[in-house]
Amino acid sequence: METTEYGIVYAVHIISVQFGTVVSKVCECLLRRGPLSSRDISRLAKSEINHNQVKDILYLLIQHNCVQAFSIEPPDGSESKATVQYLVLLSNILHRGRYNKFSRVVNEELGSQCGAVLDGLLCNGRLTLGQLIERDQDSEKPIGSEVIKDSLQKLVAARFVERIPSPEPVLANKEQEPAKKRGPKAAKILKEPETLEERVLEAATPVETIRFPLVFEQDSNSSIADNDNNITEGKRKQRDVDLSPTSNEVIWRPNFEEFIRRLRHKVCVEIVKERRDEGCAIVMRAMLEVGRSQEKKVKTDKSVPMSVGSIYEEVIKTEAGRTMLQERVEAYLDQLCASSSYLPAFVIEMDSSYIVDFKSIISVAQKDEMEAVVMRRYGKEAFRMFRYLSQEGRFVETDKIADAALTEKKDTPQILLKMWKDSYLHMQKFVVTGGGSGYASFLLWKVNKLIVTRQMLDEMYHASLNLSLRLTHEGDSEKELMMLSSKILKNTSDGALKERVKKVNAKRMLLSASRFKLDDAMMLFHDF
Amino acid sequence: MSKRKRPEPKLTGRDPNEAHEKKLLDFIRSKQGTGATMYELKADKTIPPTMFTRLVNSLKKKGLIKDVPTMNNKGHKHFLAMEFEPDKELTGGEWYTDGTLDVSKIEDLKAKCVMILERHRHRVVTLDVMCAYFVKEEKLSEDQTKEILKNLVLDNLIIEVKSTGMNEFASTRIGEVCYRLTGKKSGNGEARAGAFASIPCGACPHIGLCSPGGAISPTTCVYFQKWLDF
Repeated sequence: METTEYGIVYAVHIISVQFGTVVSKVCECLLRRGPLSSRDISRLAKSEINHNQVKDILYLLIQHNCVQAFSIEPPDGSESKATVQYLVLLSNILHRGRYNKFSRVVNEELGSQCGAVLDGLLCNGRLTLGQLIERDQDSEKPIGSEVIKDSLQKLVAARFVERIPSPEPVLANKEQEPAKKRGPKAAKILKEPETLEERVLEAATPVETIRFPLVFEQDSNSSIADNDNNITEGKRKQRDVDLSPTSNEVIWRPNFEEFIRRLRHKVCVEIVKERRDEGCAIVMRAMLEVGRSQEKKVKTDKSVPMSVGSIYEEVIKTEAGRTMLQERVEAYLDQLCASSSYLPAFVIEMDSSYIVDFKSIISVAQKDEMEAVVMRRYGKEAFRMFRYLSQEGRFVETDKIADAALTEKKDTPQILLKMWKDSYLHMQKFVVTGGGSGYASFLLWKVNKLIVTRQMLDEMYHASLNLSLRLTHEGDSEKELMMLSSKILKNTSDGALKERVKKVNAKRMLLSASRFKLDDAMMLFHDF
Repeated sequence: MSKRKRPEPKLTGRDPNEAHEKKLLDFIRSKQGTGATMYELKADKTIPPTMFTRLVNSLKKKGLIKDVPTMNNKGHKHFLAMEFEPDKELTGGEWYTDGTLDVSKIEDLKAKCVMILERHRHRVVTLDVMCAYFVKEEKLSEDQTKEILKNLVLDNLIIEVKSTGMNEFASTRIGEVCYRLTGKKSGNGEARAGAFASIPCGACPHIGLCSPGGAISPTTCVYFQKWLDF
């Protein structure tokens, strides 16, 4: 999905809070104008940021995985060199606001020691094993280099940590590629054209065996050390922004893709538990575990097919499913495959295999979010109209909507117009000219899910920004209070002061908790 | 001395205005249930414009036409011949009385539906049973009952399901249309509360005007202030 205005504003705010306004200016430049070279960035920043500063800022943003450098092969016969450009990764910037969720996933699955190693990578963006060990040695409670190495191996094995991508992948010049003749079969399988970001990330990502090595050593002579021979073909060249460590150690970073996948799976299980029952949720969790390693991309619509046997084997591994019989599992699968006017099927049965329909499960939660907003913002009658139009999935005339929703015909256009002004409805005017002097015009209305999704996402970014700004404002307005040490506040007998502290803390808690939950909703529409 | 009321004169053909009245009456009759507005009547240029109101009032007095307010615009009346009933486009339909939607009647019927379903919380109620109740007790038609039920589905208070003949559907025919309440207590799961809807910005009609540092901003917003004042 194209970046929305408040997506950009929110991302710039995140960078500004964490790295300062100068860094955020470079980030904003890339977000609004697309990929640029470092020279272009300094030119556009005018006198504010010089070229050396721009390079330092780009180094910082690359270090923290917010920017990826790349270049495009010059055309054949051209004498010009490939210019390095910088692509901002909006998703990775937004992930910076949810590092605590990623930490929780690792702490729950692999334990606190792995959690500590991951926290190091999240704080610093990317580190070598040596740097992780150094960091541990400087900490208050070091856990030792062997534990660090062991934890890192576990994180890599679980795909939570990956080797950094290629620093400056070279993309083929698309204009030069000969037009491929498509056979009849190829013509049927229509693949959506890749965006530039997808091409860059695909070119930068190393092959699986290098990205997640099974065995790794700290040794700089190791065959899998981060030198160009292992990541990109071709001669080692002088990079625009050089990030390579002096010791040629492997550099590691968090693998955001895997965290988003886990969170997506977690939310699917939650939705199944809310809408079906605990038993169905246990079976769903098992299915997701069976299919996880074969998921090619995070936003996959459907899982791979799996047999009842493989699902059952996974179910009985869990504490909750240990005593379940296969017949019970089959009954839960039947429930998951059932659809009604109320709920779509969550699982598809095909040739005695079962497929998880991710798109269908996520759509239920997306629908709940949309309808909740419509109800709160526009009222009960608008809610009925919105649900009616969502079900119809086509353009419907005003009076017909009023009849279906049982609302006053003369009030219906105003309610629909309010939703239309905020892009929650799509509208078309239809004019019918009569034989005589007259003509009649009709307004037709429709819920366009793509448009509503985009609008909601933009508003959620806006709301998340508002919550952050309000949180800062609440802190600033009680600065003196916050500066008093907690010991003094604990021992004071001043009831009014204690009350003030309690109130400020409660407000901050509410704002933080709301931002946390809103982020889950944002992931529903953007990442899942 | 009391005056005896003269009988209403019928169109005899002798009054010169009668020709105009007949013309108007024929035009109004041709419109059947949709009727004719004064604007449409005045399109006839053979009748002097100043006479229309008098002619229409005369036809009304003679009991030949009636006026019906439209539910879209009560200021404009439609004139119908007495033998015709106004179309749905004029009155709004069965749920309209004098051009106004009978909201309290609709809400009352919906509440009764929900009450019936609450009594059968762990089972389903068939469409036939609902129709039988409302036709007998509330004098509704089957179509009107279906409209009320569809409206409750849109309110997300009930769901429409088709019988499988098993479990809670054991006493119903396979494929029969049934209804049950939504919500956890009825075993149908609950819609999520909506994370975005539960903060002030989700409900705010002015979110498009809000910006950091603007006239409406998160630091000055009254909705935020109310929300945080606890």
